[in-house]
Amino acid sequence: MEILNKIFVAPFADMIAAPDFLMQVLWEGLVSGVLYALIALGFVLIFRSSRIFNFAQGIMVVFAALTLVGLHEMGVPAWIAVALTLAVMFGLAVSIERIVLRPLVGQPDIILFMATIGITLFLIGFGEIIFGGENKLMITSELGIPTGDFVLEPFGGLLILQHIDITAVLVAAALVVSLLVFLNKTRMGRAIRALGDDHQAALSVGISLQTIWVLVWFIAGIIALVTGIAWGSRAGVSFALEVIAYKALPVLMLGGLESITGAIIGGLMIGMLEKMFEIYWGAPLLGGNTESWFAYVLALVVLLFRPQGLFGEKIIERV
Amino acid sequence: MKTFTKLALASALSLGLAAPAFAEGLFAPNLTYRTGPFASTGIPLMDGQKDYMTLLNERDGGIGGVMINFEECETGYSTEKGVECYERTKADAIVTQPWSTGITLQVLPKTNTDMIPILAPGYGFSPMANGKVFQWAFNPPVSYWDGASMIMQYLSGGDMGSLSGKKVVLLHLDHPFGKEPIPVLEAMAEAYGFELKLVPVGLKEMQNQSAQWLQIRRERPDYVVMWGWGAMNASAIAEAVKTKFPMENFVGVWWAGHDADLKQVGADGKGYKSISWSMPQPDSPLMADVKKYVIDAGKSTVEDPNSVFYQRGLVISMFLAEAISVAQAEFGVAEINAEQLRWGLENLNITDERLAELGMTGMVPPFSTSCSNHTGHSGAWMLEWDGEKFVKASDLLMPDAEFIAPLEEANSLEYAEANAPWPMNEACN
Repeated sequence: MEILNKIFVAPFADMIAAPDFLMQVLWEGLVSGVLYALIALGFVLIFRSSRIFNFAQGIMVVFAALTLVGLHEMGVPAWIAVALTLAVMFGLAVSIERIVLRPLVGQPDIILFMATIGITLFLIGFGEIIFGGENKLMITSELGIPTGDFVLEPFGGLLILQHIDITAVLVAAALVVSLLVFLNKTRMGRAIRALGDDHQAALSVGISLQTIWVLVWFIAGIIALVTGIAWGSRAGVSFALEVIAYKALPVLMLGGLESITGAIIGGLMIGMLEKMFEIYWGAPLLGGNTESWFAYVLALVVLLFRPQGLFGEKIIERV
Repeated sequence: MKTFTKLALASALSLGLAAPAFAEGLFAPNLTYRTGPFASTGIPLMDGQKDYMTLLNERDGGIGGVMINFEECETGYSTEKGVECYERTKADAIVTQPWSTGITLQVLPKTNTDMIPILAPGYGFSPMANGKVFQWAFNPPVSYWDGASMIMQYLSGGDMGSLSGKKVVLLHLDHPFGKEPIPVLEAMAEAYGFELKLVPVGLKEMQNQSAQWLQIRRERPDYVVMWGWGAMNASAIAEAVKTKFPMENFVGVWWAGHDADLKQVGADGKGYKSISWSMPQPDSPLMADVKKYVIDAGKSTVEDPNSVFYQRGLVISMFLAEAISVAQAEFGVAEINAEQLRWGLENLNITDERLAELGMTGMVPPFSTSCSNHTGHSGAWMLEWDGEKFVKASDLLMPDAEFIAPLEEANSLEYAEANAPWPMNEACN
């Protein structure tokens, strides 16, 4: 009986009794969700245009953030360091296309996937050689990102909104809107979508596979840099950040591998639901640390009913 | 030049071992984690360990005339890689330094048959203190249970009864290391009437602790005790600041007292505390020698030689060097073997006088080990972050031996029974 109470009654009673706390939980979930969505977007873009599941997206977040911090440590002013980091990410995109992807054109998807695992391991080793393994401070204030907080008192309670988190949400939203405009309103954006819709048809009308691959890997690099700055501002930059990127996997399972809308909604759903579950059910019933697995269980449940994810395209293969 | 040195070091590490074995000398491998999510904690500690041995090799020609081969084997804090490193190095090693409670627990049974002492200063399985059961394992100068005892005594102001009715959160890594203080804290909660709440942090959530700190906000604890390692610590401290938790009621274990983690929050972290069995002494004669023979000679990769962790690394290697020296004197040979080193580790006598001779006065409390006491239970100081650096915030605190000893005895015997047949040192009283 007590267990039923803990599942069906107590959590909702808690939410009603402390609505300010519920708002804080939802806000924290939203912030995490936005960042999960950003990482997932990097995966989706590359998958849509090349059918490559880019396992290296997580380490690209770390690599971009460490490059930015590393350049600044060398005395480069913050915003010039951002520009140089973008140049490095562009160089990385070109290198990956030239050295790894181009020779593998036409190979089975699994080979390309394995190649991205290789890129991940290379970037970990290379990054540790160049930047070392110590936790580094993100150059938050140097970039002009506000670091204070708004303390609100809804329902006579307490709600703390960090300026960093608000900035992360706004920048992420702006990035997503820019991306959607780019994909829908520009020639290159339409070329990316065309390649995603029908590879052969896109190639037959003269769309350059190499150019598009460099472009999507570079956009994934930009997303990685924004995500790295946002996460790094919260807890510093280290190689431990890479594991957070794996949170994008259930987001992709939930939202669908090819859907930008799915990545965004999936990210927000997982961010908020995992936080709600951990606070109101996970900690009281299971001793906590449910965030490690909750998102995967949620995604698996969705897959049982919609194998293509909530927003993925239904795959019909005729024999 | 520094980048080049890092490149060379990392290239060597990526091949598994940092340096080729010397043809001669004492082989004392270190199972390091300079890479991976815990590297931020590992690098300064391992720099300190390596630099102390480099100092002895450069200044004194080794120990007792024998050079020390302080080879590193990189584990990335992975238990599997750690066991692999142990297997790879055990043939010629006189000691193994596993550097993770997970690795320690894995190699613990093997050392009985391989007859290699484990040196796990300030970490590992707390009942290893019982030398009668754990003949080959040493965790000087204090165990995690000692640490938990000293933290609670400090928070109680010396009167454990005053904790009655209080609520204490243990924010811990969800890993064998993070779970280590739970048995003793649960026993204390029952004995002294305080409420203990466990808040685990998963390895994948180390840098994403908002849920844990929301839970802490809801629990409204009087104190938060942190058993964190690596990237977990910086995130926890940042979240504590963010959620406006009173920092003076936030205390970490000695691995959660890294200067770099606190520099991230600067003045906002003022009041945060960390129990520590080592204390940096930047002006000590030892540091002058380290600077002269190691750092200025370009033989070190250290970034902040005055940090708590770097100087703790020096202290850790001093334990090993002293054990080697004691064994050499006892057995009359310079090139001692693993069994002779085991004797040395069992007969450490780090007095104030000896620390003064080593130029390390005040860097670690005096302690001694024995056949039955493989920890030494030296005591520790509470350090406090003043906004810029850690400063000493207490006199020497001592663990409650009367409370801990029966738990150590019971748990060590339980371990031996669970791993029977387990060899006991019957000569030990």
